[in-house]
Amino acid sequence: MHSSIEITRDLTPTYNTLALQIGSVCCALKCGDEKVYRRLKRLYHSFLTGQPADITLEFEELEHLHPEDPYLAHSESGHVRETGVSFPAAGQIAAGLTDPYHTIGFNGERTPASPDYLDFKYLNRYFSLAYYTACQEKYGGNPPAMLVHACGVLRDGQALVFAGPSEAGKTTIARLCGEQDGEVINDEMLLISRPASNGDGINVQGAPMIGKFPPQRSVTAPLGCILLLKKSRKTTVRRLERVEAYLRFLRQVITPDYIGQKDTRTVLPLMAAFTDEVTGTTPVYELEFTLDGESLWQVIAELGTSLAKKQIS
Amino acid sequence: MSANNAVRAGDATWRRIGDEIVVIKGDGKSAHVLNKTAALVWEKCDGKRGVDEIATDLCEGFNVSPEEARSDVREIIAKLTQIGIINQIEEIHG
Repeated sequence: MHSSIEITRDLTPTYNTLALQIGSVCCALKCGDEKVYRRLKRLYHSFLTGQPADITLEFEELEHLHPEDPYLAHSESGHVRETGVSFPAAGQIAAGLTDPYHTIGFNGERTPASPDYLDFKYLNRYFSLAYYTACQEKYGGNPPAMLVHACGVLRDGQALVFAGPSEAGKTTIARLCGEQDGEVINDEMLLISRPASNGDGINVQGAPMIGKFPPQRSVTAPLGCILLLKKSRKTTVRRLERVEAYLRFLRQVITPDYIGQKDTRTVLPLMAAFTDEVTGTTPVYELEFTLDGESLWQVIAELGTSLAKKQIS
Repeated sequence: MSANNAVRAGDATWRRIGDEIVVIKGDGKSAHVLNKTAALVWEKCDGKRGVDEIATDLCEGFNVSPEEARSDVREIIAKLTQIGIINQIEEIHG
C-alpha cells in the first residue's frame, strides 16, 4: 500500500497585516496589537490593496526598549549605512532590518507617561524607506515616481502641487481649500511620477503619508503646475526661471534613502535627474499667499486660465 | 615636465539647465550655478585637458583673445577648486 506523509504548517499570521499601495509598490504593515491595527486600518483605508507585498514593515509594541535590543538605533543621521544594521527613529521608536530587502522591523515603546504616543506620523519615514527599498529590487533603483514634500489639490481634473518644507503653509493651503476650490489629495507628501518613455506626462498620486489634514486620498491626476510656497502679506504668483525652479524644487524632493544604501551621495543624481525632468516640463511658480482663501483661489483661478490659454495657442 | 590639470570632483552631481550648469556638492549641502563661461570650463575639466587646451575651446566658443581666455580659465578653475568641486591632478608629460 502506498502511503504518504502530509506535513502541515500553521499558516495563520501571527500579526494583523495591512497591505498598502504606495504608488506601484505594495507594502505590508504587520502589527501585533489589535487596537493599533484597527486604528491603522481606518487611517489608511484609501490605500488598502489585495496585491502581494513587495516589502513588509513589521511593527511590535514593547513595554521597554532595552539598550541591547537588536533594533537599537545607532545614530540620528537619518541615513541607513549598511544592510543589517538598525537605524534611528523618532522618540520611543527604534527600528532595524530583520530580513534584507524584504522586512523592516521596528519597535515602539509604550510607557505609562505616553501610552498613546502613536500619532503614526513617524510611519511616513518607514513608508518612504520601504518604498525606495522595494524600488531597488523592482525597478533596479530607478523609481517610477518620487516622494515630494507637498500638498496636492485636485482641481479641474489636474493636480496642483503646493510644495514647501515644514511650516511653509502646506496644511494652511489644505485648510483654505473649500469644496468649490478643489479636493485635497494630501497635505504632507505626494508621489510624482517621472515622465514615461512612451510619452505619457507626469502624474501626481496620493500616498499613505500622514499630515495634519485628514484624510489622505488615493487618487492619480496629471500634474498641472507646481507652486512653491512662501507666506506673505499679499497673494501673488510669479513664474520661476528654470534654474531657480530646479534649485528650489530639488529641496522638496524626499531623499530616496533605502535599506542597504552605502552612501547618501548615491541618491543625489537620482534626485537631480528627477527634478530636472519635472521642472523642465512643468510650469513652476512661487506663490506668495496670506490667510485670505478668497484671494488665494482667485489667483489660482487666473493662473489656470492663463495656462489653459497657453495650451490652446 | 609636469602640469596640474583640473578634474571635476567625482562625488559632485551636475545638470545642464539651459546655458547654465548646476553643481551639487557631494555632501548635498550646497549647490552652485555656473554661468555660460564657467559651464564650458566645467565641462572641459576632465583631467586630460590643461589650461591652454580649455582656453582654446573658450576662444572658439566666445569672442575673446587667447590671453583673455587663459586668464578666465585660470580664474574659474581657481574659484571652482576653492569651493571644492574641482580637484587638481598632476599629469606627467614625457
